[in-house]
Formats: sequence, structure tokens, C-alpha cells
Amino acid sequence: MPLTDRQRAEFDKLVRSHQTLLFMKGNRNFPQCGFSATVIGILNKVTSGYETVNILEDPAVREGMKEFSSWPTFPQLYVKGEFVGGCDIVKAMYASGELQKLFGGAAEPTKPPNVIITPAAAKAFAGAVAEAGGDVLRLEIDAGYDCDLHVGPKAAGDVEVASNGVTLYVERGSASRADGIGIDFVEGPKGAGFKITNPNAPARVKPIEPKELKALLDAGRVELFDVRPESERARASIAAARKLDGEGQRYLLGLKKETPVALHCHHGMRSRAAAEELVREGFTTVYNLEGGIEAWSNEVDPAVPHY
Amino acid sequence: MSDHSTDFQGDVCAAIRDAIGSKLPGASVEVSGGGGHYSIGVTSPEFAGKSMLASQRIVYTAIAHLMGGDRPPVHAVDSLTTKVG
Repeated sequence: MPLTDRQRAEFDKLVRSHQTLLFMKGNRNFPQCGFSATVIGILNKVTSGYETVNILEDPAVREGMKEFSSWPTFPQLYVKGEFVGGCDIVKAMYASGELQKLFGGAAEPTKPPNVIITPAAAKAFAGAVAEAGGDVLRLEIDAGYDCDLHVGPKAAGDVEVASNGVTLYVERGSASRADGIGIDFVEGPKGAGFKITNPNAPARVKPIEPKELKALLDAGRVELFDVRPESERARASIAAARKLDGEGQRYLLGLKKETPVALHCHHGMRSRAAAEELVREGFTTVYNLEGGIEAWSNEVDPAVPHY
Repeated sequence: MSDHSTDFQGDVCAAIRDAIGSKLPGASVEVSGGGGHYSIGVTSPEFAGKSMLASQRIVYTAIAHLMGGDRPPVHAVDSLTTKVG
């Protein structure tokens, strides 16, 4: 719907209300979309003085800004009242150094990250790059620490690193997130694939299969907790699991944060939410039993009833 | 293919191609994706001398009707590349 002159004047005033203004999903500390998170990550490197508008909280701003900017997506970055662009453009401008210039700084040379590619991974890459016809091996790591390792065209600003004879191009904004990363090629029961270990990535809930959990429990290497209420525990329960009533919670929160803990429920959904909370509490190794007690009954202990 | 909800009926990739094609006659348009997320590559002589912002804006304007409203067929453009050619 076209904007009226009055609406246009209001948006014009809004975009000029701050030197640097980002229209985004979520806010600076809790971006609610990957593209917004990427732009926040880049802005934090070039300036501290910016404001954000959460378009999820205001449908009128959300629809209006699409029209005002002639740009149908978010985030949208405005500097001194001028539309700079969305995520792709901000990324490209950061890589070329233009964005740093816009904020009055010079593009500092990016420190090449330390990357270790194992001989097995190097061998797997060599074949892929040889067939790629000029494309290169590239790595991008987004603000949520999801890695995108691919063969594709080299982009402006890419940082070049080498390990075991393989040249890897790291997207400039990802370079600091890639420092210390290890890339291996492993063959497992579910097929062969690259395994990336990133020491910079924050702790995450690790999914665990019933048989793996059983092995850890048998070795005394994990504490298992049941997040279900008593009514469900009465129908079926895992002997080794401690219930998370008041006493259980006190016990759990009294553990050292490095203690590996695992959570389970009926199908694995409720325990996942609880496990994510534990990660936020600072626990470094948190497992979620995938499929819950149902899967445990199917794969480990058929004596546990289904319900 | 996905649980992305839209009232749009039909082939979204073809709709994107057609919309860009009618705005930029003679352009070569590649579209892939599904479930609301699409990647678009456009090659056209129209982009000559234009900035990345101006080039992308032409494409976005062409498909704006597929991205607006509450349940649009195109929820996000994961990657958009514009080339002069």
C-alpha cells in the first residue's frame, strides 16, 4: 500500500532520529533472525553507537519501512538518514572496507585465523577443488556459529589461510569466529562427512542417542535427570534418572558447571527446552536424550513400559 | 516440502522468474529454493554502472508483491546476486 505524504514524512523523521539506525527482527542483544544477527555482528565491529528498532513489535513500521525503503526484507540499515542496504550489502561493504570508511575508520587488516585441516580432510578437499573450475574452498560462520563450508567463487575481502596444502578462503566477517577451528573428515556409522570443531562456539545442547547415554551412565560419566512430573514417572521411569523436584533441582544447580548432565522426558521436547535453559545457566556439557524415555524403552530397556 | 504457510497457489520459482523477467526483459534469471526461502541470481545489462544497492532494489521491487502481506509465498531471499551481462 503506498504511503501517504504524512506517513512518508514520519518515516523520514524516524530514519534521521539517530546517526545509525538498524531496523531488525529482535534487538541488539537478542536478534531473532540470522540475517539481523549477522548485521549486528558486523556493526559491533565498526561502531558502538547505533540504535535498533524491533520491527516485530510494530506491524505499521514493518510494512511501512518496506515501502519507504523500496526494500521488502529486514534488516535495513540507515546511516545519517540514508538507506545503506540489507544483510548482503552490509556484508559486502564490510568485506571491501567501505563500511569501515562510512563509520570514519579504516579497514584494519584482518588477522588470518588459525585453521587446522587434517590430512584426511585435505585429501577430500583436493578432489572437490580440482573439479571446481576456478572456484575455491570457502568458509563462512554466521553469528549463531553455524558453519557453511562450500566450494564457490572467492569473494572480495576473503581472508586466505592454508593448512596441509589446502587453501581455505574465510569470509572476512567470519575470520575472528574461525580462529582455532579444526576441520576433519570422518567416516561414521551414518556415512562420511566433514567434522568441524570450533572452540569459539558457545556451548549448546548436545543430542544423545539412548545407547550412547547408557554407555556414559555405565561409565559414571554423566548425571541424568528426568524433567517429567510425578504422574508420568509413576507410569514409566529410568532407574538411573534423578527426578527434578525441588530437591533434584537443588542438587543439579549445586553441581559444578563442568559436570556433564543429561535430561530426558517422554519424547525429548520438554527436556530439550530445559536443557537449553541449563546451557544458559552456564553448564558446559548438556545432553538431551533424543526421543525421550520412549526411545530408551525401544533401544535400551524394553522393560520400561510405553505410555 | 515445508510447513511454510502461504495462500499462494502454484509454482513460486516460476512466479519469481516471471516477475523479474517482465521488469527486466532479456535478463537471465535463476531461482532455486522452496518452503518460503529462495536464492535468486539475475544477469542483465540493466545493472551496468549501478551499485549493488540499486541493482538489488530493481529485483526486489519486481518481486515485492510476492513478499508482502501476512502469508507471502516468499518469506526470505537467502541470497540475491546481480551480474551485468
